[in-house]
Amino acid sequence: MEYRQTRVIGGKGNAPGQFATSLRSLAVDAHGQVFAAGDSGITIFDAAGRVKRRWSTSRPPLSVAIAGDGGVYAGELRQIEIFSSAGKLVNTWKDETLLGRVTAIGFVQDGVLAGDAADRAIRHFDRNGKFRNHIGKDNPVNGLLIPNGVVDFAVDAHGVIHAANPGKHRVESYRPTGELLGHIGRFHGTDPAGFGGCCNPTNVAVRDRIYVTEKGGPRAKVYDFSGNLQAVIASEAFDPNCKNMSVAVDGRGAVYVADTVKLNILVFEPVTV
Amino acid sequence: MSEPVTRRDLLHNVVRGSVLATLGGGAIFLVQKAHGQVVWQVDASRCSNSRLGEAGPENCKLCTTECVVALSAVRAVNEHSKCGRCAICPAYFNITSAVDEKGLPSEKKCPRDAITRKPIGRADPEDPANNFYEYIIDEEKCDGCGKCVMQCREPLGLGSIVLRVRYDKCVNCNKCAISRACPKDALMQIPVEQALQAPEIRHSTE
Repeated sequence: MEYRQTRVIGGKGNAPGQFATSLRSLAVDAHGQVFAAGDSGITIFDAAGRVKRRWSTSRPPLSVAIAGDGGVYAGELRQIEIFSSAGKLVNTWKDETLLGRVTAIGFVQDGVLAGDAADRAIRHFDRNGKFRNHIGKDNPVNGLLIPNGVVDFAVDAHGVIHAANPGKHRVESYRPTGELLGHIGRFHGTDPAGFGGCCNPTNVAVRDRIYVTEKGGPRAKVYDFSGNLQAVIASEAFDPNCKNMSVAVDGRGAVYVADTVKLNILVFEPVTV
Repeated sequence: MSEPVTRRDLLHNVVRGSVLATLGGGAIFLVQKAHGQVVWQVDASRCSNSRLGEAGPENCKLCTTECVVALSAVRAVNEHSKCGRCAICPAYFNITSAVDEKGLPSEKKCPRDAITRKPIGRADPEDPANNFYEYIIDEEKCDGCGKCVMQCREPLGLGSIVLRVRYDKCVNCNKCAISRACPKDALMQIPVEQALQAPEIRHSTE
């Protein structure tokens, strides 16, 4: 299995569609539109990479996710802002304790999940924002090991949550109730099938497979659900100082990775032989 | 005729005296060697071993080789408040060495075995290798080679390990030999007052 880079979206700068200081999170909707959380707002690119819309959030966005009804959720410090697809603010969930630093958002059938990096856990809320339970916290170290400062996870078609646990060099799978189902991954400093460095992988996406990014040196990889490496999607393409590179996958299997130094979105597509 | 002592001066002296008393021996070294003026210190934002963005496979060893003191006055210091307490610390382990049966790298990084670690908190019996760890640098062994500093720098690590001039070792040359050799001008003179405020000085007196 191989991938080739097909497009670059965004970049560093002040022009429309560029990012001045930060590019923290990506999401792709069913139409191939790319939602990017960066600087102080949300930018939407169409499937061709053109800027379609941009709006500001009340605090710098740390994460973005698209709900099934088209609502856009922006994770921030101590709150989640919920927008319509047109960018109109619909609701704000505030919680000093449960939403300390929301670096990832996801959805299960009747709930909303928020990764809180301040407490190294995932929070499970109902669709009205009422707290249900913690995920990833019931262990001897009271949470996910995230020296990199970001909790990231993705939800598969069966509602299973795949969470990066970089300090353990794993992607762990959980039920929405918080039950740990298993994990893939192991440390290895030289074998590309392993996760290197102090703490990898940092970010996760899931569709037909599990997609991850690593830092120092940065790379994007894809695994099957049993943990077998399918491909190193890219390694040379990123600035070597990148870390916490958000990753997303669209319906065609194209992989979108945020370069957090060059502030662009690199698109990789599978090569059919 | 001497200047009258103001209330502010008096308060300043009391605070200064309290700080000196708290810092103990290290501060005495500092004050004696600084001649009441300035002392040498490493600026981590300039040091190529710790600077984000510096590339290259080899660590700079000039702090080890150029210092006029036999075992360099520059030592690696772990600023614990920044440390990620990683189970697989690239400054502690040689992370490219073979992985042992516990899933850990089989070799250590420090050529002088100056870094030790101890687990913090409750170990997971099903996963004993994964925990938080406190990393401690034995400054009597460390020679300031910077290998661990380079491995800890961002983005590979968190940049908690940096090189620091230890004032009880430094003879405070007028023109520091390391500063003359350093290609990054990372050795700089700072006022004694500033050095006294630096939290890491406390490690040298403990």
